[in-house]
Amino acid sequence: MPAEIKLRQASVHDLAAIMQIERECFVRDAWSEQNMLDELAAPHTFYLVAEMGERIVGYAGLSNLAGSAQADIQTIAVSPDSRGLGIGRKIMFALTAEAKARGAREILLEVRADNTVAQKLYRVFGFKQIGIRKKYYQPDGVDAFVMKTELPKKQPIVLGIESSCDETGVGIVRGNELLANVISSSMDQHARFGGVVPEIAARAHLEALQSTLDKALTEAGISLGDIDAIAVTNGPGLAGALMVGIGAAKALAVALDKPIYAVNHLVGHVGVDLLERGALETPTIALLVSGGHTSLLLVNDLLDDVNLLGETIDDAAGEAFDKVARVLSLPYPGGPQIDKAAATGNPKAIRFPRGLSLPKDMAEHRYDFSFSGLKTAVARHVELAASRGEEINIADVAASFREAVVDVLVTKAIDACLEHKVPRLLLGGGVIANARLREVAAERCAKHGIELRIPALSLCTDNGAMIAALGAQLMMAGRAGSGLAFGADSTLPVTQVQSR
Amino acid sequence: MTIKPNVALAIDTSAGTTVALVSGGRVLAQHDIESNMSHAESIGTAIEDVLADAKISAAEVTEVIAGRGPAPYTGLRVGLAAATMFAAGRKLPLHGVVSLDAIALRHFAENGQSAKEPGTNDERAASRHLLVTTDARRKEVFWAIYQAEPFARIEGPAVNTPADLENILGDRPIEITTAKVSGEYIAKVAALIGDEKLDSSAIYLRAPDAVPSPGKKVSG
Repeated sequence: MPAEIKLRQASVHDLAAIMQIERECFVRDAWSEQNMLDELAAPHTFYLVAEMGERIVGYAGLSNLAGSAQADIQTIAVSPDSRGLGIGRKIMFALTAEAKARGAREILLEVRADNTVAQKLYRVFGFKQIGIRKKYYQPDGVDAFVMKTELPKKQPIVLGIESSCDETGVGIVRGNELLANVISSSMDQHARFGGVVPEIAARAHLEALQSTLDKALTEAGISLGDIDAIAVTNGPGLAGALMVGIGAAKALAVALDKPIYAVNHLVGHVGVDLLERGALETPTIALLVSGGHTSLLLVNDLLDDVNLLGETIDDAAGEAFDKVARVLSLPYPGGPQIDKAAATGNPKAIRFPRGLSLPKDMAEHRYDFSFSGLKTAVARHVELAASRGEEINIADVAASFREAVVDVLVTKAIDACLEHKVPRLLLGGGVIANARLREVAAERCAKHGIELRIPALSLCTDNGAMIAALGAQLMMAGRAGSGLAFGADSTLPVTQVQSR
Repeated sequence: MTIKPNVALAIDTSAGTTVALVSGGRVLAQHDIESNMSHAESIGTAIEDVLADAKISAAEVTEVIAGRGPAPYTGLRVGLAAATMFAAGRKLPLHGVVSLDAIALRHFAENGQSAKEPGTNDERAASRHLLVTTDARRKEVFWAIYQAEPFARIEGPAVNTPADLENILGDRPIEITTAKVSGEYIAKVAALIGDEKLDSSAIYLRAPDAVPSPGKKVSG
C-alpha cells in the first residue's frame, strides 16, 4: 500500500523538486527555473505540493489577483510514476477550495487538446470548454482548450422576522431554498372586534416571538449559530406591531454578530415566488390583496425596480370582506365566510358597483381601488330589504359582492399587464385564498395569454419566509446590511426595497 | 481553570431606552436615550455601543435582564422583544424586573436611605416609604410603594388617576422620588432578588382599549 498523500502550500524551497517533475512531465516545453521561482514567490499565486512520504510527487498553482472574481489554474503536474493514485483529483479539490476561499466566482485553465486524461479530470470538477487557442503549445504546435468552471455562490442562511400585522412569522431560507416557515396568528383574538386591533396584535407578537423562533429553528433543523444574516419587515404595516419585530431582529443580529436587512413587506410578497421557482421572472405585474393592502405593482427587478401602479384609496379588499361579513352577520374573518356563503349564490343577482371603474375615475385612478362605496352599497341593500320586511338571500348578496370585488381586482391587473406588455401576473396576500379570485384570474389570464403565478397559500399570507428570501436576495447581490439605526415606517413606499 | 465573571445585559424601554452591562455590582457601560419615541431606532445601537464601550463581545454576556414596565408606550415591547432575542441568540437566562422597582432602588442608593447607612434605625427606615410614579398617559399614573430595608415593594404596581392615588395614600407619610429608571438598577434589582427565574412578560395594567363595534346604519 502506498504511503499517504499529503498536500501543503509550496515555498521557494521546493523549487528543485518541482523543477524535476516539471521537466519530467513537460519534456519539450517546461518552464524555466526563473519562471517557476517567480510564480512561487508572487503574491497573487497559491502553489501547493503533494507529498508521498518524504518525496514531492506533484504540484499545482492557482493565480488570483486580489479582489478578482476570476482564478486561473496555472499548472498542475504529477510525477509519471505516481499517477493513478488520485493525486490530481486531490490537488483539484484543494485548488477549488482555495479559489472559493479567495472569493473567486469562476476558475479558468488551459489544457492540451491531446491530453484527454486531464480534460476528463477537469470535467469532473465542472469545467467546460469555452474556447480554443490555436497552436498554443510550442514547439509541438498543439492547440489549447480553454476550460472554465463556475463556483457556486454561497447560499446564505437567512432568518426573516415578520410582524407587520396580526401574524408573527419566522422563516428561514438558504439562498432560494425554503427551510422553515412558521406563523403564529392572533386572528382569533381580533374576531370579536371584527378587525385587527393594533394593540392586541402587538401584544401577541411579543408573546409569540420565542416559541415561533424555536419552532422555525426546529423545522429548519439548524441552530442560531448557522444563521448568516437576519432580515426583518420594517414597513409598511402597523407601527406598534412592526416595532416588536424590529427590536427582536436587531438584538438577535447584535447577539449573533450578523448583518441585518430591513426589508419592504410588500416586496417580500413579490419575492416569495422565487422560493418555489428558484428565481423570480421579471418583468411581472403583482397584485397584492390582503386585509391591510390592495396594491398593483410593476416589478422590473426585485431589488432595484419596483413600481406602484395603484393601490386602494380607502379600505383594503380584505377589510371590505370583513365589513360585509358583519353586515351579513357572518363571523370574522369575513373572506372565508363570504366565500362559503357565496358558493350557492348567483353572482349576477345584484349589480353592485365596481369602484373607480367609470371613465371619469379611470383618468386619475386607473390602477387604484376603492371598496368603501361597495361596502356601503351592500349595507344599503340589506337595510332596504329589512325595512321592506323582505328576506335577504345571503348567498346571492355574498356572491354578488364577491363578484364585484374580484371583477375590479382582476380587470385592473389584466389591464396593467396589457398596457405594460408584461406577460405574467403574480398574486399575493391573504385574500388570494379566495377561490373565486383565483378562478377568475386563471380564466382571464388564459384568455390573454398571461402566465399566472399563485404561490402556495402559506407563502401568500404574511410570513417570515418571504422576508428571509428577500434578505437572502439582497445578501447574494452583495448589498451591505441595513445597519442598526432604521425604524418602523408604517407607510414605507414600495420603491424602497431595503431601508437603512 | 478561570471562573468567568457574571455579566448582565440590562434593557429597559419603559420610558426612554436604557441599556447597561453590569458585572459584580459594577457598571461596565450604560447608554441612555431619553426620547420615548425612538425605541425601535435606538435599541440595536444601544446594545452594540455598551458592548463596545465595555470592550466585551456578545458571547461574554451571561444573563439578560429586562424591564417589564408598567408602561403605556408601545416602546415597552421593543426592549422586551430585544431582551428575549438577545437571550435566545446567546442561549442565556432571561429575567424580568418591574421597572418601578429599579427607580425605587436607585432612589434609595443615590439618596443614602438604605438601612445600611449608619445611624438609621429600623423604625425610621420603616416610616420612610417611597412612592414611585410614572406617566401612564390618559391623565393616569403607574405607581408602587417601597420600603428601603429590606428593599421591598409593599404596594403596586397599579394604575390610577392622581386623585384616586391621593385617596389611596390618605395622610400616611411618604416620600416621592423623581429618579428615572436606568439599566444599572434594572440589573441591580435582579441581583437583589436572587437566582429564581423571574417572569419577563410585559406589564400593561390595562386591557387593550378596543370595543366591539355594534355596526352602524348607512341608510336613512
